Amino acid sequence: MRQSPARLVIALSVAAALAVFILYTSVAGAGTPQLQPSDLAAHPQGDIMLVGTVVGAPAGDAHAAGGLHFTLKDAKGRNTVARVPVSYTGTVPDLFRTGREVVVEGSLRNGTFVAKPGTLSTKCPSKYAPAPAKKST
Amino acid sequence: MAALGRAALLLSFGLIVYALVAGSLAAWKRRRRLALSAQNALLAAFGTTAVAALVLWIALERHDFSFVYVADHTSRTLPLGYRLAGLWSGQEGSLLLWLLILTGYAALAVWLNRRTRDLVVWAVPVLAGVATFFVFMLCFISSPFKTAPAPADGAGMVPSLQNPYMLAHPPLLYLGYVGLTIPFAFAMGALLSKRTDERWIVVTRRWTLAAWTFLGVGQLLGSHWAYVEIGWGGYYAWDPVENAALMPWLAATAFLHSVMIQEKRGMLKIWNMVLVALAFCLSIFGTFLTRSGVINSIHSFSQSPLGSWFLGFIVICIVFSVGLIYLRLPLLRTKTKLESLVSREATFLYNNLLLVALCLTILWGVMYPLLTEAVRGETRSVSKPYYNFFLHSFGLPLLLLMGIGPLVAWRRASLRALGKTFLIPAIVSIVTGSTLIALGYGSSIPGLLAYTFGAFVAASIALEFVRGTRARHALSGGSWPRALVELVGRNRRRYGGYIVHAAILMLAIGIAGSSAYQTVRERGLHPGQSMEVAGYTLTYQTLQTRQEANAVATRAVVDVTRGGSHVTTLHPGKNEYPVEQQVSNEVSIYHDPRNLGDLFTIADQIDPKSHTLFLKVLVKPLVNLVWGAGFLFVFGALVAMWPDAVEQRKLAERYAPGAVAA
Repeated sequence: MRQSPARLVIALSVAAALAVFILYTSVAGAGTPQLQPSDLAAHPQGDIMLVGTVVGAPAGDAHAAGGLHFTLKDAKGRNTVARVPVSYTGTVPDLFRTGREVVVEGSLRNGTFVAKPGTLSTKCPSKYAPAPAKKST
Repeated sequence: MAALGRAALLLSFGLIVYALVAGSLAAWKRRRRLALSAQNALLAAFGTTAVAALVLWIALERHDFSFVYVADHTSRTLPLGYRLAGLWSGQEGSLLLWLLILTGYAALAVWLNRRTRDLVVWAVPVLAGVATFFVFMLCFISSPFKTAPAPADGAGMVPSLQNPYMLAHPPLLYLGYVGLTIPFAFAMGALLSKRTDERWIVVTRRWTLAAWTFLGVGQLLGSHWAYVEIGWGGYYAWDPVENAALMPWLAATAFLHSVMIQEKRGMLKIWNMVLVALAFCLSIFGTFLTRSGVINSIHSFSQSPLGSWFLGFIVICIVFSVGLIYLRLPLLRTKTKLESLVSREATFLYNNLLLVALCLTILWGVMYPLLTEAVRGETRSVSKPYYNFFLHSFGLPLLLLMGIGPLVAWRRASLRALGKTFLIPAIVSIVTGSTLIALGYGSSIPGLLAYTFGAFVAASIALEFVRGTRARHALSGGSWPRALVELVGRNRRRYGGYIVHAAILMLAIGIAGSSAYQTVRERGLHPGQSMEVAGYTLTYQTLQTRQEANAVATRAVVDVTRGGSHVTTLHPGKNEYPVEQQVSNEVSIYHDPRNLGDLFTIADQIDPKSHTLFLKVLVKPLVNLVWGAGFLFVFGALVAMWPDAVEQRKLAERYAPGAVAA
């Protein structure tokens, strides 16, 4: 009995999709590691997406040659000690300030996390986030 | 008041569980009176859930801070509209909204289809099963009716949510997400009742179309909200939360196309069942994402215990639907085969495979951090380049297929016929592509391909309208506009579909123009200094500060000229909210009618002492087509959905003796 070409189409399409996928992963790499400051010691090299909470007062100017400097600590987990200095140039999100959780992409160089320009983003307060503290009781 | 809300929810719980148990028993034992009783319980559950929602709305309106939910999400100064929107601004309230919409949809679907008994009797327990999960969560895990001693004032709503879009964007998304439950329930009902013909598709076609429209419009509104409010110049960031809404929409798009093959040729029955289950499970998955906090997103969501409940529910839904489809495989196998790889149904199949491939690669991207964490012990994530790569790989062929599909004949198309029908669209697209290259738009290959394919699609849609109108005019006489109206009126589904295709084409052109051909410049300016961007000259004049009701507004005055002529004056700046201790970027946009694009300005940094301004400018050609597409999309969907007496009569005859009320 003659088989329906639908199966052939599906099989070829799945194969084509897989080929495209493999091509992507081989050409563009397989993602960027998302790390917290305490994880950095184990990953001193390569591109990293660093997630952390801003501690201390940020200094400098993100649009000047020296850039903006701030320090991040772990946003989640038990490690409260690990800190990493970050150097950044580019657009600074509105919500960036001490105490905010931020995500920034870059790499570690001589103990400082040098961010790619324009990759700093803060988490946007949104629905279902924990309720803020009440003003009075 | 809170006691009334709790009691109403408990009543809903009782009624829904009754509808599940009695409905299952009635369907299994074929007891008609018990089945009617289960249906009535589902109708009543909508009433009791509406009472619960009303109680919460009244509490929100009256600032009743003895409700923990009201105190956590509103304040005395919050305007009425946002207080009422408080129903969906928090976890418990949004779950209640979900249940309200679900029971409302279920009641309406049951009532409208009460005459298609064999389908409805099994759809009722499926609907009740889904509703049981939500009402259980509301009664026992995440109640919006918890009370505590009332504080003097509430915590208020996050300032970024205080935006008119907050009134429309979330409820529209919910209408879309929840709406996908109806086709799922009827599909599973069809499997349970062993009625695997096309009736469940006929019954749920408009429901799917409505849910798909709500989901599409909801996403577009959310994108526009991000575009004008967040101040980064974009409208889609491939964030997991955005992807959560896109994935079920893509699956539903595939489903809306593939059901046409089942209706016309009786093919793809298994595939349609898989798609409807996929769309439903992805809608629940989206809710799981936003409530579990398991995936890093630019939206911050709490790590709430609700995540594990949702995960468990998703597993149950997957096991239930996959198991049921497997059990009914012998009934779903069809004798009709695809006759040719060059036919209308084959192009629909290609379209489906591309849509599902795009959907699954997005799902893979969303899940990637979790998978790498589980397999490698290290969280890795994929970002914009990954998604853009697959959008180009699968989206561009999809765009082309949108133009090819309507021109290919059902069953088998001869090469000679294809050559004849493709001639005009092919010439139009080749001329468009060549012209764009000559004009220097070859810098972006995806952009060039999008426009070339887009020209093909536009020509094929226009040809379909021209041919149809000409035939109608020849048949009935009268004026040409009347012939066009009659053509669309008599073939609402087909021409509504073409209008939606035109909207998607507009969207694609807008996205390609505003992303592939956008210009971005940023520069520090002192008063009197200028910068050039894509033919515009922007001159920073001065800085103005004024006190507003709840913020200090600082605005840069930027004059815009082009070719020496004054175009407009823009006022990008920042608002400083002293109470919330937040600063927000206030972008200033000039909509250019010449290229349907925007001149988008962001005051990235302002120094009030030295009056220096760091100005970021984006020129986004054709971006307004993205928003305009939304209107055309809704219009096309309405045309396709509009009740059609002729179609109803044909369907009633087809499925006689049981009448159909879709």
